[in-house]
Amino acid sequence: MAVIEVKNVDLTYRVLKNRTGSLKGLFRDMIRGRIRVLDFQALRDISFTVDAGEVVAILGRNGAGKSTLLKVLARVLPPTSGSVKIQGAIAPMIELGAGFHPEMTGAENVLFYSVLMGRDMKRVKGRIPAIGEWAGVSDHMDFPMRTFSSGMIARIAFSTATDEKSEVLLVDEVLSVGDADFQKKSKARMAELIKSGAAVVLVSHDMDAVRTLAHRAIWLENGAIKMEGPAKKVVAAYEKQIQ
Amino acid sequence: MKNLQLIRLLVGRELTIRYKRSVIGIGWTLLNPMLTSFVLWVVFSFLFGSRLDTGQQYAPYLMAGIVVNTFFNQGLLISAESISTNAPVLTKIYVPPQVFPISVALAGLVNFFIGLIPLTLVCLVSGQMLAWTFPLVIVVGFFLALLVAGLGLSLSLLFIRYDDTRNIVGVLLLILTYLTPVFYPLSVLSPKMQHIISLNPLTSYLDCFRWAFSHNANSTIYDWLYMGATGTLSILIGTTIFKKFWPRTVAML
Repeated sequence: MAVIEVKNVDLTYRVLKNRTGSLKGLFRDMIRGRIRVLDFQALRDISFTVDAGEVVAILGRNGAGKSTLLKVLARVLPPTSGSVKIQGAIAPMIELGAGFHPEMTGAENVLFYSVLMGRDMKRVKGRIPAIGEWAGVSDHMDFPMRTFSSGMIARIAFSTATDEKSEVLLVDEVLSVGDADFQKKSKARMAELIKSGAAVVLVSHDMDAVRTLAHRAIWLENGAIKMEGPAKKVVAAYEKQIQ
Repeated sequence: MKNLQLIRLLVGRELTIRYKRSVIGIGWTLLNPMLTSFVLWVVFSFLFGSRLDTGQQYAPYLMAGIVVNTFFNQGLLISAESISTNAPVLTKIYVPPQVFPISVALAGLVNFFIGLIPLTLVCLVSGQMLAWTFPLVIVVGFFLALLVAGLGLSLSLLFIRYDDTRNIVGVLLLILTYLTPVFYPLSVLSPKMQHIISLNPLTSYLDCFRWAFSHNANSTIYDWLYMGATGTLSILIGTTIFKKFWPRTVAML
């Protein structure tokens, strides 16, 4: 069953060729009649599906459109045309901890981050101790986030994001979080989530990780799909090209 | 439902975070309008104090002006900025972006109500009783919040696109403050100037507020209608503009 269904997605940014990005600059250019718009097509005719329990990796050089595609899947960027259908809850694991505030305590941040992801406040409140414990930061939950080390922040973010079962996980290079111990633990949890039927879309430059984790891979070039198929095959072709 | 939970958290965060590293914390919300009013009172009371109608007092007049002016100016700037401030979240997690400016306006409303406590004190100290119309200040606060949220939503789109909008809006707000009877009574102005000032919606908000609170100004039914109309229009236009332009603007975050 397809949990994610992407059909003919195009995404075009319209940028004003306005050097300064200021109202003053815009006004000056308007007077001189020098307003030019530039259309930048970030995604071209992207179609694919992801089934429950399937891991799909997205490959490509910097600027190929990987992160943009992930944002479209997260519903953060609306596509210019085409459609994205997603069934169930989405856990966007893109730059974990984006919603954290340094002056708020660990517990407050966990609650806020969870509600941002659309989770129920009451339910999360009961889960805070468990989330802290899994991340190994139980003793720090009542201190402001600014006193956390970056490893601790990454751990608590991962723990929060994966605490509730989501139908869709969008992962952007977050598999290498924390020390070796925690990496093992987080990989096990990811495997568990996948086994329970989560669909995963993964963006990574780590080809070994892609080979071991992903079932299928999609290779993006200049915003379009260049190749799609079994992960090992696509990775091999991609590695051959970039060398 | 879930958005309501999020708004609740955001309002709480908005109210507390600014004072996280201060000793008296949220007490500043009480002290701030008093201190500002005191300074302006020292400067202006001998100029304008005697120009009010009989029975009206300058100290609560001034402070009521400060409370409304702070709500509008700060609320507008912070809510317009809230989208770019929360860009790290908005570019990663799907959240209706409107919740951010709306939460700022609601936090401003809470601060406005907290500001009524020192205002009551100042009223009583200057020998004035609260009027029986006092509960109507809730109506004023409500429409002020709508006005701020609507304008904040529209401006937030410009704030994202153009970096200098903040400075321009800052200057415009300063001009608007002088075009609002915050610290002077209308009667000190020429008839022509009075006419111009009364076109400013905020003048009606202030008249309604001062009258409802302690009959410290006069308000007509037109003031109340003007207030209701501008508040409602602001939120309607703000949400419509935001909805229309957001898909194109989000890519610039």
